Amino acid sequence: MAENILLIEDSAEHAVALQLYLERSGITISIGTTTEEMFSKIRTKEFDILLVNPFLNGKSISSEIKELKNSIPLLQVIIFCIKQNLNQAMDEVGTHAINFLEIPVNSKALNLAIIHARKCIANDKRIKIYSERLADLEHDRTLYHQLFNEVPCYISIQNKEMRLIGGNILFQKDFGNEVGEYCYEIYKHRTSPCPTCPVIKTFADGKSHSTEEVVTALSGQQYHVLTQTAPIFNDDGGITQVMEIATDITQIRQLQGHLSSLGLMLGSMSHGVKGMLTALDGGIYQMSSGLQKNDPERIEKAFDLIKQMADRIKKMVLQILYYAKSRKLEYQTVDIVHIFKTVISTVTNLARKNCVQIEIDIPDSIGEMDIDSNWLQAALVNLSENAVEACIYDKAKNKNHKVEFRLWEDNNHRVCLSIKDNGMGIDQETREKMFTLFFTSKGSQGTGLGLFIANHVIQQHGGEIKVESILGEGTCFEIYLPRKKAEESVAPFGKSIERLS
Amino acid sequence: MKKILIVDDDPNIRDYLVSLLEDNGYTTRTAIDVRDGLKIAKEYKPDLITLDLEMPGEWGPRFYRQLSQDNELKNTPVIVISGLSGNDYAISKAVATLSKPFDREELLNIIKENIV
Repeated sequence: MAENILLIEDSAEHAVALQLYLERSGITISIGTTTEEMFSKIRTKEFDILLVNPFLNGKSISSEIKELKNSIPLLQVIIFCIKQNLNQAMDEVGTHAINFLEIPVNSKALNLAIIHARKCIANDKRIKIYSERLADLEHDRTLYHQLFNEVPCYISIQNKEMRLIGGNILFQKDFGNEVGEYCYEIYKHRTSPCPTCPVIKTFADGKSHSTEEVVTALSGQQYHVLTQTAPIFNDDGGITQVMEIATDITQIRQLQGHLSSLGLMLGSMSHGVKGMLTALDGGIYQMSSGLQKNDPERIEKAFDLIKQMADRIKKMVLQILYYAKSRKLEYQTVDIVHIFKTVISTVTNLARKNCVQIEIDIPDSIGEMDIDSNWLQAALVNLSENAVEACIYDKAKNKNHKVEFRLWEDNNHRVCLSIKDNGMGIDQETREKMFTLFFTSKGSQGTGLGLFIANHVIQQHGGEIKVESILGEGTCFEIYLPRKKAEESVAPFGKSIERLS
Repeated sequence: MKKILIVDDDPNIRDYLVSLLEDNGYTTRTAIDVRDGLKIAKEYKPDLITLDLEMPGEWGPRFYRQLSQDNELKNTPVIVISGLSGNDYAISKAVATLSKPFDREELLNIIKENIV
């Protein structure tokens, strides 16, 4: 290492002697004789070692030396002076110097002092580099942490057991900071992994997978998300964790053009439509063959079937029209008791045929209210039919199936209607998805439109709909409606569900 | 009289097929799903089966697979009557595949041709 040494000594003879000695060891040095020279030389050139006599012309320059050392921390200071001054020099300069030598300077001691200084310089430089790197690392760490946190997606890290190990700020805000919980519990309130889990696939093949899901935040708000996964490898290349990024695409889903989803809807409904048309054919066939055979029983049955199919087709067409053109409500002042009773009468036949009892707890009058009776009626019929069907499809034996209809006014003068069945009940995942477009639990019998429209109609009225259900025990829908026309604040097809807790 | 087994989950369509086929001189029995269908097929030994594809629980193709593993039933002709589009290959060995809503005369002709 070719270090630069500055020698400050008032005795020119002694300075030259030291210079000669050091230059013999291959070291170049500059010489100064005053403090002014010391400062000016240091300013113009970078020195590594300052070899200095702190008593220039009988005057102590200890404070100047300390000042210099403080302003250039990497500069190593070696003091030399006559024996009588050594103590004072040590007291004054102290740890600012690494070595104190006595005049006449012992050459071995000087060599060792310079070797020591070299080591100190090397160490100091190393420490400086390390601390710079550390600062860079800290800066990068903060940056990456910030990136991780500020990404406008839900990011979660899961281990092989599907437990959450961490999440970014957005995830924690909307889904909580439940490290150690199962992801499917937090995201979807399920008790087992989702059937198409992309995380499991990524653990299996190390590749990225994606799915589209409906998830429910702590607030009850539902989000359509596109989830994508990526493996996180350990040092041995094994996958220990998987990162899942869920992007909120709710708005995209909502903004999808109605016409394009109408096409999708018709496709998804075509099986049901074909079934209805076939049954209608059957009704017509039985009607005509019944007429030929003059079989009144067959004619009546056929007529029933045709009527039933015509109703279902009518309902479906109306739903499609409603969806195709999100119309404004046409408010009328009506007697809600009368309307509710009409709704109930539309399902009593179905209920009676299937031995489902109907219980009604409705006051004679609750006054008038402003609603669009056509659409509200459609929504209520849908909920009522669902209730009866939940009983019909309930496989539980020894159960006296019944549907209870209630109507009352709550403390906020809202009109409340409840439809409660003791049928098969709904699991939580279904409950969370049930108001979404095209979601159906009825297979080919459902269109995925009924509850979506019912929910939307009630929201458009400024009302709310609550669902409570226990699997195997039954379901209760409660509808709350303001008596007067609501501000038209509900955006077309906005969605929100409030769950009873 | 020739015996026909009707497998369909929709009661209205079962009724329709029963009336249509009985009016045309066949006796019928009905099944509402795959399990029911296999059970009835084993004891009823139908001369022909009409089969819906999309049903709750197991689907039609599964019925056909199990049917063809039964030595007594494997030669029974099956007519697929389904609301699914593009179902021609769902059961390739079916004697015919009709799509709902089906043509009455076409169905009766196919039955006549295939019933032994």
